Amino acid sequence: MSDRPRVYKTEGLVLRRRNLGEADSIFTVFSDREGKFDAIARGVRKARSRMRGHLEPLTRSHLMLARGRTLDVFTQAETINAYRNIREDLERTALALYCAELVDRFTIEHAENPGLYDLLLSVLDALEAGAPPHIVRYFEMQLLSLTGYQLQLDVCASCEARLPEAEALLAPSAGGLVCANCRAASGGGRILNVRAIKVLRFARGAEIEAFASLRVDDDLAHMLRGALSDVLHHIAEAEVRSDRYVDEVARLSRVQTTEAPPTVQ
Amino acid sequence: MAEPTAGTPEPISRLIEAFHRLPGIGPKSAQRLAYHVLRAPEQEAEALANALRDVKQRIKFCSRCCNITESDPCSYCLDVKRDGSVICVVEQALDILALERAGGFRGRYHVLHGVLNPMDGIGPEHLRLRELLQRLQSGEVQEIIMATNPSLEGEATAMYVSRLVPPGVRVTRLARGLPSGADLEYTDDLTLARALEGRQAIEP
Repeated sequence: MSDRPRVYKTEGLVLRRRNLGEADSIFTVFSDREGKFDAIARGVRKARSRMRGHLEPLTRSHLMLARGRTLDVFTQAETINAYRNIREDLERTALALYCAELVDRFTIEHAENPGLYDLLLSVLDALEAGAPPHIVRYFEMQLLSLTGYQLQLDVCASCEARLPEAEALLAPSAGGLVCANCRAASGGGRILNVRAIKVLRFARGAEIEAFASLRVDDDLAHMLRGALSDVLHHIAEAEVRSDRYVDEVARLSRVQTTEAPPTVQ
Repeated sequence: MAEPTAGTPEPISRLIEAFHRLPGIGPKSAQRLAYHVLRAPEQEAEALANALRDVKQRIKFCSRCCNITESDPCSYCLDVKRDGSVICVVEQALDILALERAGGFRGRYHVLHGVLNPMDGIGPEHLRLRELLQRLQSGEVQEIIMATNPSLEGEATAMYVSRLVPPGVRVTRLARGLPSGADLEYTDDLTLARALEGRQAIEP
């Protein structure tokens, strides 16, 4: 047995839930001090469970856990922030779930990453406060830096030549922008215009509020989303599942704003 | 997979393997179940085999509400005393039983067979949404009650459906609040906030 205490406290954000047996669930939590971990909540699906609402996905909670043989067991949970505005908005729920899935994909269990935890909370806080969808690009850029995959945007990622102030190819397999000479050997990617490159560079160092207040039109948003999505897929070596859902929800809201204005009753 | 022990007759190892595929059944339980069937009287084993076959052959989805049923349309859809202008949308067929037990609802149902769960790859295309939208075309339906669970996924599904519904159809959501026997002390903030918002006057 290890000498770790039998019961411990942490705070964390619930990333996802899987049901187990009749009334139990396994929750994946990303926490400040313990990193990402799975733990069991016994009886949490019963109506009278005391922890039920405190362990919903996308809830930030104080947690108390008991060490178990394989998985730890939740003994107490109390909500710090349930992100009500996110929860009550289809688009923002989709974006927040997408961020949660990225954290799940880009972390390994029990490896603490306080920077990433703070980043996730700051993006959720921003979405809760009504930040525009492109805030997720900030999250993606920062996530890449914090997990060791920072994109090379200053010089060519292949030959380290200085990049001219012009459009350039963002090549996922090269890990950044590549110059015109290296383009053919870079394994493909997306061409980014000067404005898109500037936004990505800005996302590396800017404060989240500054990034949120950037004006990003639809074309630019689309270009950035596609380019970063390619990079993330390449690194995760798998499809980010909620990616398609984000698109689907965005499409739905576009249809509604342009075609059929819903009648208010 | 349960490793067939050398010397186990083939029909038994096949049965063990079949049981092992069921959720929550480990290799040992699978063996115990298989040997139980082996020792059980012939009629009992036959009844199990028949039940298994019938559930796959005779149960189908109702072409209107997607409920699981033996006869299509299902009994709820055929019941003329039910109000066709209100549809209660649920996640799974079992939820209909819960609502019927509670009584008080005399409209019709629609079963989605799931909820949106983007992180597990369950998108709108996996739900019985097209069937629901088709039912709205006749103009008979005036209200849709979203009775998905009050979880993140259930709420997202309710919001998603409300976006698809044509104008003129009212979309409502089950009230949220405290379950009977709850403890205020342990209730989450969101539930408590909604319970406060949905408070009702006590009629003397």
